[in-house]
Amino acid sequence: MTDFLRDIERDAVTEILNIAIGQAALALSQMVAGEVSLSVPSIEFLGPDEAADRLDQSTGRQVSVAIRQVFSSLFSGNILLIFPEARSLDLVRSILGDSVPMDSLTELEQEALLEVGNIILNACLGSLANQLGLSIESSLPSYVRGRGARILDTTQAATELVMVLQVDFSVAKAGLCGYLAFVMDIASARQFSDAISAHLARVMNGTAG
Amino acid sequence: MTETIILLVDDSRVARMMTRAAVAKLRPDWVIIEAASGEDALSAIALDRPNYVLLDVNMPGIGGLETARQLRFRCPSAAISLLTANIQDSIREQAALIGAGFMAKPLKEDELIRFLDGGSKPS
Repeated sequence: MTDFLRDIERDAVTEILNIAIGQAALALSQMVAGEVSLSVPSIEFLGPDEAADRLDQSTGRQVSVAIRQVFSSLFSGNILLIFPEARSLDLVRSILGDSVPMDSLTELEQEALLEVGNIILNACLGSLANQLGLSIESSLPSYVRGRGARILDTTQAATELVMVLQVDFSVAKAGLCGYLAFVMDIASARQFSDAISAHLARVMNGTAG
Repeated sequence: MTETIILLVDDSRVARMMTRAAVAKLRPDWVIIEAASGEDALSAIALDRPNYVLLDVNMPGIGGLETARQLRFRCPSAAISLLTANIQDSIREQAALIGAGFMAKPLKEDELIRFLDGGSKPS
C-alpha cells in the first residue's frame, strides 16, 4: 500500500465505509434471509493494470459478473458489486425464491442481478451520504461480464493510481461469495478522504448535524 | 363494491414482480397495475385511478420524485409511497415534502402492511 493516506485517514475511511458496507450487507441478508459475512475492507492504491490483476487474483481468474454504478458528489467514481458468474444464478434463486417460476429464472437472471446490485450499492452509497451529510448522485446500474480489466474499466492513464477498496462477503445459505469495490481516481480519493476527515472533526467537536 | 387499485411503478421488471407477489399475498382481491416509468404511470392513471401507488425513485425519464409530485396533484386521495434502494436522508425529506411515504428496498412485509392499512379507501 502506498503512503497516500496517513494511518489516521485510512482508519477514518475504513470506519465510515465499514458502516456503509454494513448497510449493504443488511440489505443482502434481508433479501436472502440469511447471514452475510464480511471481511475487513482493504484499501489499496494501484495502477489500473495492477488493480485488474488484483481482482483476477481474488476471483481465481474466472469470469465474473458485476453491477456497476457511477456516482458523483464532492468525489466521484465507480462502485461495483462483483460475483463469480458460475454462482450468480444461485444468488438470483435464493432471492427470488417462489415468487418467480423456475423456468423464468435464467431469462430473468440479468435483470434480477441489476435489481440486487441496485439495492446493495445504493444501501452503501446512501449510508455514506447520510453519514457525511452529503447528497450523492448515482447512475442507473449497468451489467458487466468479464475478467478484471473489463469489470473495472479504469479509464485513467496507465501511470495514474486508482483507489481500490475491496470487501469480500459470503452468503453461507447460497454458497456464494462476492466483492464490493470502490474505484476512484486519486483526485477523488483525496476529496473523499478530506470529506471524511472533516466529518470526523465535526463529530469530535460535537458539531455534526 | 368498488375495487381497490394499486399501481406499482418501477423500471425493473424483477422489482415489479417481487412487489406484485408481496401485495397479492396480502391483498389477493386487489387490482394490481404496473408501469415501467414515471411517464407510463402518468398515462396509466388516465384509465385507472389508483388508491395506492408504490414508486421507485431512480428510473429513466422523469424519475420517481417528479412522478410522485404529479401524482399527488392529479390523484390527491391516493396513498403514495416511494419504494426505493436510495436510502439517502435527502430523498426521505423530499418524499415528506411531497406528502409521500418512504419505504426502503428490500421491501419488508410489516412496512407494506402498514402502508396498505393506512392508505386511502376506494371511493
